[in-house]
Amino acid sequence: MSVILKTEKLRVEYASRELRSGIKVALNGLDLEVRSGEVFGFLGPNGAGKTTTMNVLLGFVNATGGEARLFGVDVREPIARQRIGYLPELTYYYKFLTAEELLRFYARIFGIPRSEADRRIETLLKLVELEHARGRSIKTYSKGMQQRVGLAQALINNPDLLILDEPTSGLDPLGRMKVREIIQRLKSEGKTVFFSSHELGEAETICDRVAIICRGELKAEGKVSDLVTQHQCDLEKLFLKLIGYQPQEVI
Amino acid sequence: MNNVLAISGIVIKELYRRKDFYVLFVLTALITLVLGSVSFFNDAKIVRYLKEICLLLIWVASLVIAISTAARQIPAERENRTIFPLLAKPVTRGQFILGKFLGCWLACGVALVVFYLFFGVVSESRGRSDSSTTGLTSSAATEGHAASAKADDHEGAAGGDEHHDDHAGTEHFSVLLNYVQALGLHWLMLGVVTAIVLLGSVVFSAPSSNITISFIGIIGILLLGEHLNKVALRQQQPVQGILYTTYFLLPHLEWFDIRDRVIYDQPPIAFVDCGLAALYAIAYTGLLLFVTWFVFRRKTLTL
Amino acid sequence: MTRAAPHLVLALLLAVCFTLATTIQPRTRAWSDRAKSGNVLKMLLGDGRRMFANHFFEQADISFHSGYYPSIFDQREPAGKSAMASGKDEHDAHDEAAHAKAMAFLGQPRDWIEAFGRHFRITEHTHLAHGQEREILPWLRLSAELDPQRIDTYTVAAYWLREKLGKVKEAEEFLREGQRNNPNSYEILFELGRLYRESLQNNVRARHVWEFALRKWNEQDSGGAKPDPFQREQIAVNLARVEEEAGRFARAIELLELGKQTSPNPAALQKQIDEIRQKSAPPSSAPNAPAY
Repeated sequence: MSVILKTEKLRVEYASRELRSGIKVALNGLDLEVRSGEVFGFLGPNGAGKTTTMNVLLGFVNATGGEARLFGVDVREPIARQRIGYLPELTYYYKFLTAEELLRFYARIFGIPRSEADRRIETLLKLVELEHARGRSIKTYSKGMQQRVGLAQALINNPDLLILDEPTSGLDPLGRMKVREIIQRLKSEGKTVFFSSHELGEAETICDRVAIICRGELKAEGKVSDLVTQHQCDLEKLFLKLIGYQPQEVI
Repeated sequence: MNNVLAISGIVIKELYRRKDFYVLFVLTALITLVLGSVSFFNDAKIVRYLKEICLLLIWVASLVIAISTAARQIPAERENRTIFPLLAKPVTRGQFILGKFLGCWLACGVALVVFYLFFGVVSESRGRSDSSTTGLTSSAATEGHAASAKADDHEGAAGGDEHHDDHAGTEHFSVLLNYVQALGLHWLMLGVVTAIVLLGSVVFSAPSSNITISFIGIIGILLLGEHLNKVALRQQQPVQGILYTTYFLLPHLEWFDIRDRVIYDQPPIAFVDCGLAALYAIAYTGLLLFVTWFVFRRKTLTL
Repeated sequence: MTRAAPHLVLALLLAVCFTLATTIQPRTRAWSDRAKSGNVLKMLLGDGRRMFANHFFEQADISFHSGYYPSIFDQREPAGKSAMASGKDEHDAHDEAAHAKAMAFLGQPRDWIEAFGRHFRITEHTHLAHGQEREILPWLRLSAELDPQRIDTYTVAAYWLREKLGKVKEAEEFLREGQRNNPNSYEILFELGRLYRESLQNNVRARHVWEFALRKWNEQDSGGAKPDPFQREQIAVNLARVEEEAGRFARAIELLELGKQTSPNPAALQKQIDEIRQKSAPPSSAPNAPAY
């Protein structure tokens, strides 16, 4: 299997007035490899560096050191983003547009011909069950509906790699189930999915491989089953152990 | 270019789905019509004050539309985080800036066409001033024109009507050309204004401060830009040098304000001058957009 | 708290507000004139409206010059009144030359920016004519609305209305409005007299008005207000002409003598006095001539 996403000694520093050194290290020599066709879970506590990694991969933040590549192309090149779909953690779309208009706009960005765009929009609206609300502006949608629009826009270019930032956060159990189903379906279609999550159970269920990151450093990487066997505990305990959690006695 | 056009399309959609433009247009129309209905000394032929006020309102409204639209583009994208899904697509930051600029500029152009159509209807419905009085090009031309008007009177029915029609046709064409030039130059100026405000929006963090600073700066250039050299000459060094340098560096937006020529029925400007002014505006717009891209290209965007 | 309590509190608060309003309102009227004014512009702008009035008066002059006008940055030669304002004074060739000199403010362009910018400006010095003078009227009307105590506005507008646009009735109404707002203005009375004499050929009314104007001038002079001596000469000379036509030569001479005191050209007036003296020999007495 070829490597689709690769980071090598990735380092990101921010200027910080709060710290004595004046520099906050968000990522410290992160090495990652995501292979074609796998579902890769990127796990870590809040502030571990998950979103920063995604920001680097999507070109929002420039790495201070190391390198990051998508499909073998430096992430700073726009062409590297031609074959990816991205779903942010929260819904960030033009609220004055309808779902259909939004999808048409993104289809145009990818240079998809009009007839093909029409076909894809139909399919995607059906997939995310928003056919009935296609003509309504996004501002009238519920949170779940907005999340589904997000998923549809991430799939408009039929991407080979999907980057999902906590795709199930804030959704009700039914919504989570639907997102999981869609990820499974994409996997069966041979797509690569790279997603960050707090939900360890979710990662255990759907991921082929996971990486656990804490304070900008990679703590563990591998198949869930291998990691569990190697450390002789379940994923949750392993996660807590790797992030240095110390249970306190109840006074 | 496809990406640029797609982004600009979104900006235009946003503008016509917001109420700003409609409010400003209705306000302009209302003030003009109310003033137009006022009778001054029972003289219905008075028209220039109406033109003056209508054009002033159009200028203010267009500046408000251009500045407020351009100022909120990038900050709103960042604040609402719509920039993230967009830049996660194969869109460069340069295309993003260019798309935003083009959208704002085209939207301003559409608004201007509507405003100038209204202006044309208002001023033509009031009846233009008799141009035989002010002179078309100079006092000499005035005399010539007045003389020809007298000659028309003498000719009377004997073929004079045809001559008069020709003359009226030329005059109407001249007026129309004046309106078109005023609209075109106004639009070009709004291009520079939009580029200035876009640059401000990547420099200043708050859109409100950008709007205030841009508005003051642009009004300042429009009112004082052409006089800076005169002020400079009355100063001592180094103030003189600083003022003169500023004078040469500033985009001279006041060139594009030819309201007086429209109000006072002056002849159209030579096309070569319009062309040079257009080149000047394009050069400044390009420079400002380049600086905007330069500042924005490495800017960290964090979720 | 019972269900009625909020309503009672509301009623109490309303009563307090009403009581305070009725108590304070009469006092506030003494604080400023603004609230007392029936004029919306005065209420809104206060005395700041006078600044706008000046602006609109200048705008009328700009309109009279079809947009060719010096800015505050242009080095303009001092030429006294503008052509618009001096038009009514039957300005002579000297005035014309001074005005032309004052309006030649452009000069040679200092740099290429200024030179190129002139293609977009109005660079010809012209005046409105052939009835187009009407275009200055809205600005003068606005100026009068904003500053009813600005006398120039009435006299200038009235001159153009009656002299160039044939709107004598409107001119008279406007001057009457000016007189109501400025009951002590000899300038407005003088202009009104001109209207009666020149436009309505009513010498009797003109004489009455000018006599009144002269009285107002004297009142101001004795009150220490330093009225314009040139205006007194104008009133006196014009009134003298009416008196002469009516055959009251002594009174005419008396008025011309008065005008001579402040005239820039006393010799011309002396010549007129001599002519009247010749005409009136043997001298006739002027009935009921008031003393000045």
